[in-house]
Amino acid sequence: MPPVIQPPSSRVSALKPVEAIDPAFRQIRDLVYNVSGIYQAEEKLYLLVDGCGRRMKALGVNGPRDYWNHLTARPSREVELRNLLNELTIGETCLFRSLPQLDALKKVILPELIGEKVRQVTKKIRIWSAGCSTGEEPYTLAMVLSEEQDGLLKGWQFEIVATDLNDRSVETAKAGIYGEYALRNTSDYFKQKYFTRLDEKKFQIRPELKKPISFSRLNLQDDSKMLFMKGFDVIFCCNVLIYFDGVSKGRVISHFMNDLSFGGYLFLGTSESLMQLNDQFHLVHFPGAIAYWKPSPFSQKT
Amino acid sequence: MSQSMATNIRERIARIEKTPAIPAVLLPLMKLLAMPADHVDMDEVARLISYDQAIAAQCLRMVNSPLFGIAKPPNTIPGAVVLLGLNRVESIVMTSCIRLAFPAKNWPLDPAVFWQHSLGCAMVCRKFSKMLGGADAEKAYVSGLLHDVGILVNCVAFAEEFAVSVERARQNQIPLGEAERMTMGFTHCETGVVLAEEWGFADEINEVVAHHHDAGATTKARGLVALVHLSDLLCRMRGLDYGYYERHKVDLLTDPAWTVLLAEYKQLENFDLARFTFELDEAVGQIRELVSTILGGSAQA
Repeated sequence: MPPVIQPPSSRVSALKPVEAIDPAFRQIRDLVYNVSGIYQAEEKLYLLVDGCGRRMKALGVNGPRDYWNHLTARPSREVELRNLLNELTIGETCLFRSLPQLDALKKVILPELIGEKVRQVTKKIRIWSAGCSTGEEPYTLAMVLSEEQDGLLKGWQFEIVATDLNDRSVETAKAGIYGEYALRNTSDYFKQKYFTRLDEKKFQIRPELKKPISFSRLNLQDDSKMLFMKGFDVIFCCNVLIYFDGVSKGRVISHFMNDLSFGGYLFLGTSESLMQLNDQFHLVHFPGAIAYWKPSPFSQKT
Repeated sequence: MSQSMATNIRERIARIEKTPAIPAVLLPLMKLLAMPADHVDMDEVARLISYDQAIAAQCLRMVNSPLFGIAKPPNTIPGAVVLLGLNRVESIVMTSCIRLAFPAKNWPLDPAVFWQHSLGCAMVCRKFSKMLGGADAEKAYVSGLLHDVGILVNCVAFAEEFAVSVERARQNQIPLGEAERMTMGFTHCETGVVLAEEWGFADEINEVVAHHHDAGATTKARGLVALVHLSDLLCRMRGLDYGYYERHKVDLLTDPAWTVLLAEYKQLENFDLARFTFELDEAVGQIRELVSTILGGSAQA
């Protein structure tokens, strides 16, 4: 036996030699998960390393160990954590951001909802984009549902309620003007069908697509207003709850639970989870996407 | 499964021009590798591998692959075994053995997809088992790797009907087992267990092969069957699928298999399923690379 070859240090099945990532980054990854529910998988760890890198540069911090102190020990730790979360979710706002979520909606959830609601008088699907930012998500949903209007949703109406805390975001959303970066996942088919080209780089959503959407400002922590959000079939709330502390997060999630109809679904960001903050929701899997399902009292099983 | 259907399947398998014979080293290797990692005698593993040229060649090809980027890769089996590590040797040996018995010619299912699912499921089973603090992580790995052996039987012994099943599953975006039952009247579970018994797999692995789609139906090895059942579902939902979109909502918490595991493992109550899911995604890329290295260079076979 050749004497010099070292066996792999552990029974890890990684094929590629693991690059030397400072263990402090994994510590930061776990911290981020524990406070926000956002998990950076090993192969996306470089995003975390990059994000921390930008923050460390801004703060003039030398290494991840030092930065760890900024995130945990300094009085300004909460501010810094927020800054880091901003870095991690930056660039996630674009149209058609998560195709597996949209596939789940279109291919599994809509047929299921329609099957369950078929006997109801008003044939309507209601979706809430909670934390809609500058409108990318509600418009994407409107396009996806419009595409089904001659098929699955024939004879059905849909309504999209889009809310955000930030007034300016809501105004931008209403205008519906997007550049190349926001449209990087949008196919020519959708661009031609639902947008008017303003100039070389800008496209505006057509008025027809805006009709089923209502934009408004809403603070998810405003309990009295949250009580009025009722009867939704699906809620999208992507990378919003990550900024809330545990108690507020728990409260918003209970509101979502009440605001959803039985059999409704809550989607979070693609690598975001509720952790164990609510045991009434069932975590369900679709191909490539997870969602939280509010079981109907009659459907104990899938 | 009715007696007559079992007989029918058995006859069909026996009628295949070349009945898949079990490679001689597979069973002793399985026994060896099913032991806890630190009990496995690496020299013994190397010795068994050396008995089979095809498997030995596969191991040497792996260490020579650019994935490892070694300037002077070892040219002996013991050297390769040590360098590859037990996990990879296990994967290579098992897949090589099975691929020798079932050469991938004109399969209705893409062999790469099949192996990605099988090796992916094996890895998830091991991870899941370790997470639950189970003592049999290696047994879970082997069970995951072999759970779909019936698909290979179908590829070879029922090629035409199986091709129709696969197409039907793909078109209607339904689980493969459902399409098999609609088309052929039986599934890869029924054909798999015939082969598994013939090859003399351990009883609990036979149970997994037979019942990984109806975990509630088994009375033996319930925990292991449940574990493989759930891992299989997770793989299909996280990109280690059969190569098509399944219109499928999976609610693991209401799955009878979850209840079975819950009864055996208290830890499952606090199990963070979301995090476990995200962690699995880390492995998908690795599994794909592993499969392309194993299959690489030998066309489809």
